[in-house]
Amino acid sequence: MTTEHLPSAAPSLARLIQELNKLPGVGPKSAQRLAYFIIRLPNEEAFDLAEAISAVKHNIVFCQECQNLTDTDPCTVCTNPQRSRDQICVVEDPLDVLALERTHCYHGLYHVLHGVISPLNGIGPEQLKLKELFPRLANNDVKELVIATNPTLEGEATAMYISRHLEGANIKVTHLARGLPVGGSLEYSDELTLSRAFQGRQQV
Amino acid sequence: MPVPKTYRAEGLVVKNISFGEADLLVTLYSRESGKLKAVAKGARRSNSKMVGHFEPLTVAKLSLARGRSLDIVNQVEVTENFSSLKSDLITLARGLYVAELVDGFGSEANSNQPLYDLAVETLGAIQQHPSWELILRRFELHLMRVSGFMPELFHCVDCRKPLEPEQHRFSPDAGGTLCLNCTPYGVQIRSLSLRALKVLRLLHRSRIADLPQLQAHKTLEQEVKSLLSTTLSYWMDKEIRTNSFLNHLEYCPKAEVSS
Repeated sequence: MTTEHLPSAAPSLARLIQELNKLPGVGPKSAQRLAYFIIRLPNEEAFDLAEAISAVKHNIVFCQECQNLTDTDPCTVCTNPQRSRDQICVVEDPLDVLALERTHCYHGLYHVLHGVISPLNGIGPEQLKLKELFPRLANNDVKELVIATNPTLEGEATAMYISRHLEGANIKVTHLARGLPVGGSLEYSDELTLSRAFQGRQQV
Repeated sequence: MPVPKTYRAEGLVVKNISFGEADLLVTLYSRESGKLKAVAKGARRSNSKMVGHFEPLTVAKLSLARGRSLDIVNQVEVTENFSSLKSDLITLARGLYVAELVDGFGSEANSNQPLYDLAVETLGAIQQHPSWELILRRFELHLMRVSGFMPELFHCVDCRKPLEPEQHRFSPDAGGTLCLNCTPYGVQIRSLSLRALKVLRLLHRSRIADLPQLQAHKTLEQEVKSLLSTTLSYWMDKEIRTNSFLNHLEYCPKAEVSS
């Protein structure tokens, strides 16, 4: 959308609408609503929003160790002495780290790939943060690599690619259990999910 | 007669794309109506009844409702999901290569049952015989046959004379083999050994079960592979993305990690 489409809007307002329109899932009408909402905000709240965007763009960097997004390099997880150094959990993106941290089940380190192998979309292993992962594993401290990619075809392909690369290495490679979601239903589960759930059954 | 609001289809999922908050835009190649695009509402939610049914390389029966621009999936039942094929990286990559070519050569609203049958038969064969690489070469050639792009392998495409048993040339854009006397203007020409031509002719008339009897040297296999790949890219008018991943898997070294 260009400013010419909004002849009655002031140039600064038209520019804000144009910028908001670039956000994912925000169409021209939503952009206009958001812009008028920002105008009606108290000054300090609007400037806080602007400052937060500016700070994120100036301060956020990739952690040299785990490749997660962070304010400080290395990140707080990598520098935390309480975290176990013998486990690395590989995830697709930074939001997965937050999801796993909410479980309070895992106390090791992470490695964020920033994507998955997707041959149909032309995304190969060289476009992921895999070349940063393998040197970390050369360190003898790492005993287990937990692959926590999504149970999609691309996630599985990425998991298989990593484990294929580590064949013969003295590292235990595991991945998260596959099967039925809590609150799911056997009747509507596809046969692959059900067979994985059956293979991973546990004694009650 | 009015068009029914709902219909059924059986198809092979060739790709899916995240759509909206939790939906999937699924591309299927169906037995009944060729390539179909439909939205599976909420299929990305872990508690959805449709979760896991739309992974690429899955054959499913669907009930669909016609929408204004995109149809909506009402029900889905998986009939074949090629689970062994998906549990090995190489066979998975080959399966995705098949899916990409079916997506590229299949057209919307044009039924082509031989193409559907060929794709499903090929995926089954890759799953059953993971070491037979010629399955893909046979698929490529037969894909062009069922789509109407079969290259000429017995006559010169320029002078129409039958080919003599000797070294020949091949042109994807001229439509097949060329004798040594003909050089049409403005077409891409590459050499074609007599042995490669024989392999192509054999692949053209063989069934999948005949493939183990076909022994080809690595160099000869590479020549046939490169020729077919160039021809397919020419007709698709774009690069075959999964090809680079397949090549990567063939040559990628293992990671240097202490053992």
